[in-house]
Amino acid sequence: MAEGLNISFLWEAFFIALSGVPITLLVTIVALVIALPTGFILALSRFYRIPLLRQIASVYISFVRGTPIIVQIFIIYSSIPLMLDILFKKYNIGINIYEIHPIWYAFIVFSFNTTAILIEVFRSALQSIDQGQYEAAQSIGLTSVQAYRRIIIPQLLVVAMPNLCTATVNLIKATSLGYAFSLQEITLRTKVAANMNYNYIEAYLAIFIVYLLLCSAVEYGFKVYENRLARYQLRMA
Amino acid sequence: MLEVSDVHKSFGENDVLKGVHIQVDKGDVVVILGPSGSGKTTLLRCINFLEKADRGKLALHDTSLPLNTASKKEIHKVRQSVAFVFQNYNLFHHKTALENVTEGLIIGRKVAKKEAEKIGREALTKVGLSDKYDAFPNQLSGGQQQRVGIARAVALSPDIILFDEPTSALDPELVDEVLGVMKNIAEEGTTMIVVTHEMSFAKDVANKVIFMDGGVVVEEGTAEEIFKKPKKERTRQFLRRVLPEEYIYSI
Amino acid sequence: MEKYFDVSYLWEAFPVLLPFLKVTFLVVGVSVLLGTGFGILLTMAKVGSSKILRKLANGYTTVLRCTPSIILLFLVYYGVPAIGAQFGLDLNQVDKIVFVITAFTLQFAAIMSEVVRSAYESIDKGQYEAGVSVGLSAFQVYRRIIVPQALVVAIPNFGNALIALFQEGALAYTIGLIDVVGKAELIIASNYDTHALEVYLALAVIYWVLSILIEQFFLKIEKVVGKGKRSMQTV
Repeated sequence: MAEGLNISFLWEAFFIALSGVPITLLVTIVALVIALPTGFILALSRFYRIPLLRQIASVYISFVRGTPIIVQIFIIYSSIPLMLDILFKKYNIGINIYEIHPIWYAFIVFSFNTTAILIEVFRSALQSIDQGQYEAAQSIGLTSVQAYRRIIIPQLLVVAMPNLCTATVNLIKATSLGYAFSLQEITLRTKVAANMNYNYIEAYLAIFIVYLLLCSAVEYGFKVYENRLARYQLRMA
Repeated sequence: MLEVSDVHKSFGENDVLKGVHIQVDKGDVVVILGPSGSGKTTLLRCINFLEKADRGKLALHDTSLPLNTASKKEIHKVRQSVAFVFQNYNLFHHKTALENVTEGLIIGRKVAKKEAEKIGREALTKVGLSDKYDAFPNQLSGGQQQRVGIARAVALSPDIILFDEPTSALDPELVDEVLGVMKNIAEEGTTMIVVTHEMSFAKDVANKVIFMDGGVVVEEGTAEEIFKKPKKERTRQFLRRVLPEEYIYSI
Repeated sequence: MEKYFDVSYLWEAFPVLLPFLKVTFLVVGVSVLLGTGFGILLTMAKVGSSKILRKLANGYTTVLRCTPSIILLFLVYYGVPAIGAQFGLDLNQVDKIVFVITAFTLQFAAIMSEVVRSAYESIDKGQYEAGVSVGLSAFQVYRRIIVPQALVVAIPNFGNALIALFQEGALAYTIGLIDVVGKAELIIASNYDTHALEVYLALAVIYWVLSILIEQFFLKIEKVVGKGKRSMQTV
C-alpha cells in the first residue's frame, strides 16, 4: 500500500471534478433565486409578526435548523415519489416517477433548506435597520414599497452580505450530498471515476481542491460586491 | 513625590510628546489643560505605562525608572501606588459596583475579602453610591459609573490618582456630580493629576495648572496665574477660545 | 398491495435507533473537546504577534471552511492510513470512529477558532487597562476579567457550532460508522428498502428534538452567566 499518489489520475480526477462544477452552480443559483425572495418575504412576516405565517415560518426554520441536511434529503427524496405516485395514478398522468431527473430533487431540497436559512439572515438584518430610516422615507413622501426598495433594502443588503456569503458557501458545500439522489455533481462524478482503480485519495483530493477554488472564488466575489455596496459607510467615517 | 521628565512618544510619524517634564508634590491637585491632540492624555497613560513612552524617566518617591524599558515587575509596583480613572469608566462589565471596587484589593493586594468589602463600601459611600453596591455597570447612569470608577481608584488608597478626562463622556447634566466627588477627595488631601476640559474645576480646585500644546508644556502655574495673567500667547489664545469673556474677568 | 405509509414503522424505529445515539454523542463529545482545545491554539496564533503563525491559522480556517464535511471525512478516512503507510504504520485496522472524530475535530477547531477570536476581540481594550491599573497582573486580568466576559460572548456561538457539528456528524455513516443514521440505513435495508420514509422521519424527530434541547440548554446558560453583560450580537 506504500505507494505514492497517482499523479496522472489526480490530474484526470481534477478535470472530472471540474466538469461537475456547472451542475453544482446551476443547483446553487436556482436555489438562491427561489430562496432569496421567499426568504425575504417570510422574514418580513416574522418581523411584522403576521399571524399564522409567522408560526409556520418559525416551525419551518426550526425543522431545517434542527435536522441534518442529509436527513432532509432522505425525507424529500423518499416522500415526493410516494406523493407523486398517488397523484399521477389518480389523474392518470403517464409519467414514470422513477424517471424524474435528479436535478429536480436538488432544486427542491436545496431551496427548501436555503430559504429557511435566509429567513433568519434577513430577519437579523431587518432588526439592525433603524426604524427611523423607514419613517424618514415616509416623511419625504415615499410609499412603503418605495421606502423598502430604495432605502431599507440597500442598507439591509450591506448588513446581510457576510451571512449571505456564508449561506452560499454552505449551500455549495451541501450540494456535495447530491450523491444521495444520484445527482451528477462534482463529488459523485469524481467518485465514480475513482471506483475503477480504487484511487480514492486522488479523487477526494481533486474534489477538495475544486471546492476550495469554487468557495474561495465565491467568497472573493462577495467581498468585492460587499465593498461596493458599503461605499456609503466609508464616506461616513 | 512624582516626577516625569524628558517624556517622548510618537505614534508612527506623529510626535505626540516632545520632551515633557512635570513634577507633582504630595497633596497637589494638578490640572492639565490643552487643546485636543496636545498630548495630555498620552502623557497620563505613559505615567501608568498604559502607553510605552519612547524615552523618559519616572521618579516616584525615591525610586527612578526609565519609562521605555521598565520591567514588568517595576511597572506592576508603580501601578500599585498609582490609580487611574478612565474617560469611558472601563468598569468591569461582569462585576457589581462593589466587586469592581474590591477586585484590585482582593486579587492585586491580597487583602482579605471581608476587609476589602468594608473598604469598598466606604469608598462607594464616599462617592454617594451607598445604595448601589450590588448594581451592575449597565444598570448605572454614566455619572454613577464614573463615580464607581473613582471609588475603585480611591479604595486602593494610592499615593496618586490620575484622571483622564473623567467627565468628557458624560451628558452635561451628569458632569457636576462627578466633579463634586472629585472635589471632595481633593479636599481630603489626595494627590491627583487631572486631564480635563472643565475650567471651573481647574479654577476652583487645582493648586497647579499646566497648559500643554503640541506635545510640550507651554506654561504652568497656579490657577490664578494661568487664567488671569497667562505669559504665553498660545495660552492666551487657548483660553480666549474656551472661556466665555466674563469668566476671565471674574477670576 | 401494501400501504404506502405505515406509521407503525415509525414507532418501531425509535427504540431501535435511540441506543445508537451513544455513538453519535461519543463522536460529538470527543470532537468538541479536542476541537475546542485545538481551536483555542489557533486563536492564539491568530491574535498573536507571529506573522507566519497568523497566516497559517487563517489559511487553515479558510481551507476547512471551504471543505464539505463529507469530503473531509473521506480524505481523512483514506488519507490518514495512506500517510501512515508511508511511515510503515498499518492503520487499516483502526476503528472507523477514530477517523470520524479526527475529521470533525479538524473541522470544529476551525469554527471554534473564529468563535473564540470574535469573543476575545469583542472585549474592549479598556477592560485590560482597567485591570492592570488596579494592580492585577496580566495573567490575573485574563483569568478574572477578560475570560469571564469573553465566555459570555462565546456561549451562543459555541452553542450554534455544537448544533452544527451534531448535524454534520450525521454524515459519519458514509464511511460505515454505525451511529443513529447508520442504524437507520440498516433498518431500511432489512426492510428491503421499503418504508424508508417512516424510518427517516423517526430519525428527523430524534435530531430535531435533540437540537431544540441543546439550543434551549444554551439559552439557559446564557441567561445564567449573562449577568452584567450588555446586549450581545450573534448571528
